[in-house]
Amino acid sequence: MITGMDRLVAAIKGEKADRIPVFCNLLDQGAKELGLMSLYDYYQRGEYVAEGQLKMREKYGYDNVWSLFYVGKEAELLGCKKILFSLDGPPNVEHFVIQSYDDIHNLEIPDDIIHHPVFAEELKCLQILKREVGGRYPICGYVTASMALPALLMGMDKWFELLFMGPPDVRDELLAKCSLFCQRHIAALRELGVDVIVYANPFGSTDFVPLPYIIKTGIPWMKQDLSAGTQGIVYYCGGARFNQVIEAIISQIGIETYYLSPLDDIAVGKQIVNGRGLTCGVINDIKLIDWSEQEIKQEVKRMLAAGMEGGKFLFGTILMPYKIPERNIRAMLDAAYEFGQF
Amino acid sequence: MLENVIAAYSEAVFDTDRDKALEVIHEAVAQGVTPEDIVFKVVIPSMESMIKAISEDFDANLAQHFMASQIASQVTDEMVALFQKSPETIGRVVIGTSHGDMHTLGKRIVSGCLRSLMIDVIDLGVNVSAERFVDAALEHNADIIAISSMMVHTARSEYACLAVRQLLKERQLEDRIKIIVGGAPYTWDTELYKVVQADAWASDGISAGKVIKDLIVEMHK
Repeated sequence: MITGMDRLVAAIKGEKADRIPVFCNLLDQGAKELGLMSLYDYYQRGEYVAEGQLKMREKYGYDNVWSLFYVGKEAELLGCKKILFSLDGPPNVEHFVIQSYDDIHNLEIPDDIIHHPVFAEELKCLQILKREVGGRYPICGYVTASMALPALLMGMDKWFELLFMGPPDVRDELLAKCSLFCQRHIAALRELGVDVIVYANPFGSTDFVPLPYIIKTGIPWMKQDLSAGTQGIVYYCGGARFNQVIEAIISQIGIETYYLSPLDDIAVGKQIVNGRGLTCGVINDIKLIDWSEQEIKQEVKRMLAAGMEGGKFLFGTILMPYKIPERNIRAMLDAAYEFGQF
Repeated sequence: MLENVIAAYSEAVFDTDRDKALEVIHEAVAQGVTPEDIVFKVVIPSMESMIKAISEDFDANLAQHFMASQIASQVTDEMVALFQKSPETIGRVVIGTSHGDMHTLGKRIVSGCLRSLMIDVIDLGVNVSAERFVDAALEHNADIIAISSMMVHTARSEYACLAVRQLLKERQLEDRIKIIVGGAPYTWDTELYKVVQADAWASDGISAGKVIKDLIVEMHK
């Protein structure tokens, strides 16, 4: 039986399995699968998250599982004391660790993430995933880039203020600490057997900052974040566009997988990558809430027609909203399985 | 002379060069341009041309939006303090992020842009309940409730814009107070503002300035 890992490895090599890999990013939906009443309860236990991931992968038949709980977990590792949970959407960071520049000087980066008490449930989750599907289905992890992490620690507007108008020495001190955390987080996930690390950096998108800024300031920090190597790293800008940036990233950093924005032109992105890595066509999953099954089928068909030629292509979603009806998740996946066949 | 000031200031703002923009303004004031002219003949026209440029240029980025609004807001605050008499504002907005949402950037860009367009802004902060939006709008006699949401569930929540609409209906305030929404979910789904029963939406923080100004002008006709 062909596994998700077989499909991914074939895609990386430019070979053909039965179909393209299909990465479906369902996180919060795991609580529903387990019959839990609240997302808060779900995210308290690594066993729950692992079971949710395994059940959903089994149920829908896609090719990956996630060790990510929610993005704010990174802030918790750095001292965040309060997360705002919702009934039907991803948890938000409510307590910002950095309230003043003194807090930046005092920010401590944990030496040992794997054995950090805040990481205990993620560790449990990862161990279960590794035991149950390791080597057969790619296990995905999520790491926020140094330039984006401060937004989780002080709020995006305060970070913009410091980044573009604040004292350079304070800004660089924070970036250096965030980069150290990013490096240690990547190392920890690799040590625990995570196969695919989504390196999330909205500041690597031209929707956020101008291309010259990315080249001059962004890329040096990315290089530092990824100084241990780019194996398994996926370039992702939180859904923001980055086709114009791909060439610079390939030539200067060497990342081999590009998880496009739904607003990027898939054919253009693939042309820029030009066989030097994998390109992922990503659906606008917010529209999946209201689209009809027929509209979803047509959109998936269009995307795959744009990206499949020449191989080295996969289909993906962003973090899928909780409100997407199950029939629409199935419609999307059925279309990806049908039109993604070789 | 003013034309040169407008050109130099606008260029600095577009390049996100705050120091240069402030230098241009301070030089102009030193050469005798009044604070009133700086606001009404430099800052506002410059902001309006930026709004136009952004509406035509798909590639304008968030850093430019942020810096443009912060620079314009800072210059306006500085100049208004020097006005001969207090300026008349064209309207008032209460702004906040929707229930359950802690994301502040969009709200801050919109607020800066509005202040530079001489629109009063009452910032209610983050995670604002529907009751608080409506109560504050009444208390401050606001024309507009502006609700920023960064996440799908906080945009579509029954406790967010939909609840504000319900309260406006119940209190028979719909003719007096309009609702505008903005944030990532609305740019991903341009029909979403109708689903949440807002009167209008804006695709970015700078464009929100024009949408809100147009709404206020329409309401005051």
